[in-house]
Amino acid sequence: MKRRTFLKRLIAGAAMLGTAALLYGVTPLLAPRRATAKRNYLRPPGALADDAAFTAACIGCGLCGEVCPPRCIKFHTRDGSATVNTPYIDAAEKACILCDKCMEVCPTNALTVMPRGDINMGLAEIDQTACYPWVDRGICGACVSICPLGKKAIGYKMWNQYRPEVRAGCVGCGLCVEVCPHPSVPIWVVSRPNDIKV
Amino acid sequence: MAAPTINEGAAVHHKPFFLWRHLNKLRWLTLIIVFAMLVLLPFLHIYQTYTAAHAYDLLSPGEKQLYDVMESIAAPFVSDPAEDLDAVKGNTWSGSFWGFKISDPLAALGQVAASLSLYWPFLLTALVPVLATIIFGRFFCGWICPATFIYELNSNFASWLRWAGIRVGNRRFDKRIKYGVLALGLILSAVSGSVLAGVVYPPAIIGREIYYTIAQGGLGAGTIFFLGTLLFDILVARRGFCRYLCPGGALYALLGRYRLVRIRRIAETCNDCAKCNVVCEFDLDPLRDGFGQECNNCTACIAICPTDALTFTIRPSDYPEQGPGHLGQLYRKQQATEDTDAAS
Repeated sequence: MKRRTFLKRLIAGAAMLGTAALLYGVTPLLAPRRATAKRNYLRPPGALADDAAFTAACIGCGLCGEVCPPRCIKFHTRDGSATVNTPYIDAAEKACILCDKCMEVCPTNALTVMPRGDINMGLAEIDQTACYPWVDRGICGACVSICPLGKKAIGYKMWNQYRPEVRAGCVGCGLCVEVCPHPSVPIWVVSRPNDIKV
Repeated sequence: MAAPTINEGAAVHHKPFFLWRHLNKLRWLTLIIVFAMLVLLPFLHIYQTYTAAHAYDLLSPGEKQLYDVMESIAAPFVSDPAEDLDAVKGNTWSGSFWGFKISDPLAALGQVAASLSLYWPFLLTALVPVLATIIFGRFFCGWICPATFIYELNSNFASWLRWAGIRVGNRRFDKRIKYGVLALGLILSAVSGSVLAGVVYPPAIIGREIYYTIAQGGLGAGTIFFLGTLLFDILVARRGFCRYLCPGGALYALLGRYRLVRIRRIAETCNDCAKCNVVCEFDLDPLRDGFGQECNNCTACIAICPTDALTFTIRPSDYPEQGPGHLGQLYRKQQATEDTDAAS
């Protein structure tokens, strides 16, 4: 009799947990989806380099997003299994301005305060077969003008040409991606190769 | 003839402080303030971003309206909104007050489980809640939790339904289930390497879902889960999630097991009316001195007691059962039989 009640309770508990898990599982199906183009999501500045460690350290409190002045930090609200509620930046939509507020407010070690030069969100990369100056379709220089880090991060290849080139000082904030006027955005942020140090 | 003299003596010695029975109103006020702040802060953040961008002329009419309302709210308190409004940020899961960070103990424990390492600057942010819980018990559940605000309104809604003749669930389970949920949540956090305990924890869900809805342009997955718990409370068990399933409530109950400030019953003025047992959201037994670690000091029983027979006491354990209340029928019968026994 006791074993039976125990089993009953066990099954009831499992059913309740299963229902809860199911509710979470069906949500992405109910949620409206944006165009699922392959996006290059960045972590906020100061994030732990290892993304698994970042996911483990982040408690999903949303504080980084709540202090972000350009509101560029967004959250995996419905998508992502283990990364649910963790922050990301979609640079093509809105880029980071490197103001340090999110690093200062983060209660955990997911984002830690570090000097601007040590930030490693990635490294910008330019498609030289599409960028206007590189294919001789006029002068532009929007990415070079907007860069908050100046010459050490991005500059012109030659002084009389407006062909941009990314340098080792780039921290991957993505402002160049946001500002690029080309419809196909031939500049994006990739994860930093190990051989390029700041 | 003996009973009235006992009552007079009791009235002199055991009258609770008159404000205790009004604490329940204060509790509702704090719940409302916490919830209102959770709604207000995302709007204030949006207003901050507008001021930081000096973009008033570029805003749409709706955004201008938001700007104006938020400016009228914030203007008395801050001179430079873009910077000064950073003073208060966050939610009950983790918040920042003038640079002082406070986190939920479950957040700290969940992060330790997920990352399998101790990061002291973060763990120390949970120190104040832990100390307060050791003193006041599970008070977070009754006094601060933004989900409690909705769950109690939901309880009231269920009692209206019952009044209207619709059957609502009133099943009872084992309250220890929630400790299993806590353990399971921590184990799953460790296995998945993600703070999953916070994904099934209503106050954390409420905090971030309000923020997502207002500032991130849409509800997250947690809303569906939360609506599920509301349905569970109506259809299966009153306040069922908090009583039987909440992992954070389990952690707070464990921390507050030997709390110093607790409610006790004054047997001398109790008349066994059992209103305290009916009003108790956590299905406790104040009538028979059964508070235990589950009590969240919400003071609903103190507020409803018609004879002022419940008060606060400072001791690390509950009073042992004091028997029937001295103003009740049962006690008088007992006294009468004892008197006749003594006489014969």
